[in-house]
Amino acid sequence: MNIWNLLLSAIVTTLLGFIIGVTYMGIRRKIVALAQNRYGPPIYQNFLDILKFWSKESNIYHGVMHHLAPLWMIAMAITILLIVPTQYGSKFFENLSFNGDLILILYLMPFGQLGMALGVGQTGNPNSAIGVTRGLSLLVGSEIPFIMALIAVMIQYHTTSVTDLVRIQQEHHTWIMFSSPFAFLAALCVLPAMFHAGPYEVIIAPAELASGPMSEFGGKYLGTMMSAGSIFMFAKLTLFVDVFMGGSTNWLWLIVKTFTVYLFVIAVGIIMPRLRTEQAIRRLWGWPLVFAILAFIQVALF
Amino acid sequence: MNTLVVLLLILFGGGIIAYFAYNIHKIVGDIWLVLVGFAASIYYIGYLDVSQVLNIHLAGFELTLALNSFSWIFGLLIAVLLPLVALYSIPYMKGQDRLGWFYMLFLFSVGGMYGILMAGDWLTLFIFWEIMTWSSYLIVIYRRSEDAPRVGLKYLIFSAIGAYSLLTAIVLIGANVHSLSISKFFEVLPMHSLGFKVLIGSLMLIGFGVKAAVMPLHVWAPDAYSTTPMNYTSMFSGALSKMGIYGIGLIVINLYYHSGISLAGEIVAWFGAITAVLATYYALIQKDAKRLMAWSSVAQLGYIVAGLGIGTKLSVFAGIYLAVLHGLFKANLFMAIGAVERQAGTTNFSELRALIRKMPWTFFSALISVIVLAGIPPLSGFVGKWMLYESMITSGHYVIVVFLFLASVAGFLYAFRFLFGVFLGQEEKEFEHVKEANPFMTVPMLLIALFLIVLGTFPGIMFKYIARSMADLGFYGVTYKMSVLTNDWGQSINMQYIAASLVIVFVLFLIVLTWVAYKNSRNVTTKDIHTSGEPPSEEDNYHFSENFYRPFQRAFAFVYKYAITPVYNEFARGIEDFFQYVRRLYTGNAQTYALYVLLFLAILFLIAKNIH
Repeated sequence: MNIWNLLLSAIVTTLLGFIIGVTYMGIRRKIVALAQNRYGPPIYQNFLDILKFWSKESNIYHGVMHHLAPLWMIAMAITILLIVPTQYGSKFFENLSFNGDLILILYLMPFGQLGMALGVGQTGNPNSAIGVTRGLSLLVGSEIPFIMALIAVMIQYHTTSVTDLVRIQQEHHTWIMFSSPFAFLAALCVLPAMFHAGPYEVIIAPAELASGPMSEFGGKYLGTMMSAGSIFMFAKLTLFVDVFMGGSTNWLWLIVKTFTVYLFVIAVGIIMPRLRTEQAIRRLWGWPLVFAILAFIQVALF
Repeated sequence: MNTLVVLLLILFGGGIIAYFAYNIHKIVGDIWLVLVGFAASIYYIGYLDVSQVLNIHLAGFELTLALNSFSWIFGLLIAVLLPLVALYSIPYMKGQDRLGWFYMLFLFSVGGMYGILMAGDWLTLFIFWEIMTWSSYLIVIYRRSEDAPRVGLKYLIFSAIGAYSLLTAIVLIGANVHSLSISKFFEVLPMHSLGFKVLIGSLMLIGFGVKAAVMPLHVWAPDAYSTTPMNYTSMFSGALSKMGIYGIGLIVINLYYHSGISLAGEIVAWFGAITAVLATYYALIQKDAKRLMAWSSVAQLGYIVAGLGIGTKLSVFAGIYLAVLHGLFKANLFMAIGAVERQAGTTNFSELRALIRKMPWTFFSALISVIVLAGIPPLSGFVGKWMLYESMITSGHYVIVVFLFLASVAGFLYAFRFLFGVFLGQEEKEFEHVKEANPFMTVPMLLIALFLIVLGTFPGIMFKYIARSMADLGFYGVTYKMSVLTNDWGQSINMQYIAASLVIVFVLFLIVLTWVAYKNSRNVTTKDIHTSGEPPSEEDNYHFSENFYRPFQRAFAFVYKYAITPVYNEFARGIEDFFQYVRRLYTGNAQTYALYVLLFLAILFLIAKNIH
């Protein structure tokens, strides 16, 4: 692999991921506003926000871990975006997709969250720490059905690589959401929790925790964090599309698919009221777990 | 002279001399301890001749000392830890009394571990096993704290259960195989009956499982690990528990996989997985850093046992790798807790807070160890976790792998609990005087942390020795690469690219962020925070430490309802009641005794009559 080619494609992918992710967030704000009978901000509002954060002059410094917190997030988000295959068959956008697999991606995700949790911890804000403990507790809820769904898929197709899964789907002209419906359902059910959206937004709960983990971050830190969040969101959507919906061969198709999935997340978020942490865990271990077990049974029998 | 004997002489002789050296003066003793530590370590790594075998004929038994590549790797772990722990111990044990006694036992237990690894026959193994057990028991009760006798008794009872079942197995082997040699035993074993294999296997697994703290034999571990002085706990949890793993590895692989009972391996793996899950759940509700890490030790050993139990090439490889890794990072974590205990005077989460600015190096090494523990890439813990999970997925153990995933994800909770509880949160006046620990304590920790970082990107450094040791377990043709991990289906990951990507992005943004944010940065205290219009005053402290995972506990209340300790206590009470009843036989009346004799003779007569 040519190192310059890799660097160039990495930069292009990251920029595209950033633009798409931030736009999605803007669209989400608009849709939520419309659903609540408001006008809402323009779609490009989040770009303006990030720009504003980066141009803030003053800066609050709580210590080294606080300073590093957004960096863990962005390192994790970009690395995951580079591992997840964005374009099937494209030599240019290959990135690191042959150097990582599903288990690696699953374990990379907490890399950013743990880093951020540490930064949050150093600020000494009790609300932030409470938010982190809620987030980690929810992680146990959402990760287990999701992992079970992925394991079912991995065993069915004898591969742990996302690239292989996309290749199999493209070659057989099928989507895994049709061939392993239960795994798909399980993953779909926990998807809002993986985005900390919908009924699972107890982590940031603005009314009671003052934005939770984010409350002590401002200016450039928050700008970096928002960028990382957008990229991470797009990476997660791409992962979901790659595993269950056949991946894509061009950017347009990828945007259509990821946006459809994201619309689902937004819709659930609008409809459902917020759950308490233990309720959320119980709900995540309810039907999603049943679907995941059915997926296992499907793999074991067929 | 036989090099194996020299090593044992260094440790046991060094232990006896250490006793006298500490009685002369503490400095003499410390110098001697470090000398012995480094001598043993250098001798083991550089001069030990693995091919040498020593046979001793003693009272009709043939005792054999011989190392092989499988046991060598556990010895390597001890050899790495011993000098570092010896250095660490100098400031840690300052001001304690009976140091000579403590270090004699310390070196004896290390000698016992080496003896176990060198044992070529079951009898030698048992002798050294008991030396190790007794010296560690005496160290557990070394600090005359309030609950030391109770904790010591618990440890002793469980060790005794293990030792008796081990001894029973050895006697059975002696009677049926007519040789106590370990290698010969595994050779002839496939010819024996299924019942014999299962019996020997279960007895041995109970014996070794006690030291490896496999549930339900784990009860002693959390107490013993947290009561013992931390410099020994780092050996206790880091190296001594690995003797159990060594034994389980020998038994499971040889007895079950090479004699065709793979179901037994599955059962062992399930025990490991359940241990991992439940111990993790208990770890995250602990209120004390020591106890949290003690439970975490139990959980991590569960992973290793599960890996060995699955018994495929990759899973055993991962099991051994994780065993060595656990020895390193858990020793490091206990050292860090020891440093905190020494400097701040407590390890209780409700008292400790925000030591990060005061003890940055301790925090750094604890952070690295915790990342390795949680298995987050790109550090070395992830390499082990990846191999373990992939080996299980590729061999179709997908229910067990979900349990391990659950343990691992819940492990993030206690990892954060530990770091937050000790090093983060709101600063407290009470801890303003706290300073960074002595360099003798921090440097060993940092060395281990550095090695753990390097091992993440270049795990091949370790793979070399593990691949060699796999041959001794009967897995031939184990291949490995420096940074590329491959599973049984042929998918691979390259740690170099992953680490490079993470590091490049991290450093790039670090430079940018520091550059643009440096000029107008305002340093603030942990009291200067956004609390919705209610700023804390000087006296207030809003540190969050009580009921840390309350919602999680509520959601999983059904797990916390059950515990094994009450069951054991009930059992003990039952036995006590039973013997209260038996005691009544001793009436003190000669006529009753005469009746007993008569009854006994009658029973004997009946049996004798029916026997032929």
